[in-house]
Amino acid sequence: MSNLLDTVDLDQQLQQQSPQEILQFAIEQHGNIAISFSGAEDVVLIDMAHKIDPDVEVFCLDTGRLHPETYRFIERVREHYGIYIDVRYPDGEAVRELVQEKGLFSFYQDNHQECCSIRKIAPLRAKLLEVDAWVTGQRRDQSPGTRAQIPVIQEDKVFARENDTLTKFNPLANWTSKQVWNYIRTYDVPYNELHDRGFVSIGCEPCTRPIGPGQHEREGRWWWEEATKKECGLHATNIEQ
Amino acid sequence: MKITLVKKIMADGSPCKKCGDVLQKLEQNNQMQYIDEVLVADERDSNSDGMLLAAEHNVNRAPFFVVEEEGQPVKIHTVYFKFAKEVLAQKTSEKEELKEIMNDNPDLDFI
Repeated sequence: MSNLLDTVDLDQQLQQQSPQEILQFAIEQHGNIAISFSGAEDVVLIDMAHKIDPDVEVFCLDTGRLHPETYRFIERVREHYGIYIDVRYPDGEAVRELVQEKGLFSFYQDNHQECCSIRKIAPLRAKLLEVDAWVTGQRRDQSPGTRAQIPVIQEDKVFARENDTLTKFNPLANWTSKQVWNYIRTYDVPYNELHDRGFVSIGCEPCTRPIGPGQHEREGRWWWEEATKKECGLHATNIEQ
Repeated sequence: MKITLVKKIMADGSPCKKCGDVLQKLEQNNQMQYIDEVLVADERDSNSDGMLLAAEHNVNRAPFFVVEEEGQPVKIHTVYFKFAKEVLAQKTSEKEELKEIMNDNPDLDFI
């Protein structure tokens, strides 16, 4: 319980901190920590972390379906910062089974979860079994839901090793897309060329499209799926008041 | 060991579909015998037993399992397949486990 209480208290404190301060805290607290890099604007995390610790560990999930521009960008980031990027791949046999059974574009027929679970979540889980903490570029404004609650620090119960703990940091949770881009422009951070062509949220090539003015970035991903999503959160309401 | 399952009633009074799915899996796999208590987290009542337990353990999703063992810290499981594998020592399908993780954690879309 004490760890949990610590995390909750820490989150309240860190909510007031800048992404750089949160990263500094994360890196100082955890020797075995890795930054998740998607090949999009979360590159700002690498820029910030590299200034704190030039040897910070970065990993990337290569689903096998990324845009050529994203592969070029990952390589550019590697060269620009002189860092080692641990590129993780899906299990070939699991991909082969999915493709044999459902084809190369099954996500257009059912939904993206099955493909993502094989190409992204399995290698993510394998990577996270090796670390004590990880850092993501998740932000509140990425979710169109008004209930989006992304803590700055949390105990990751989903990917923790058995009988162990895993800490997840979301230093950009309170930043907006605009703040991220201000940082990229101010510090001349390299970015994925797809952003110049109207792509805001960037994932796999078949599941990503550019969006127009006023559209939420979520509309550029899995646009064929119903907006209604499963609701597994617990939300106390105030209807009694 | 004491295992408590918390299921949810949505704000509109309807039962949570995911909780129903998990209960069905527990029944199908003859695992309800291991569940000592089932509590309800009613979103309309923040003082319902399940909501209080969720607040106590800082859990923000349902269903979830609370595993209490003497001399051990309390463990919370929000993924059914992980719970079945780690607590009930049941062989589970990685494919099903990963799908459950993906379905329950939409924030992973942005990883």
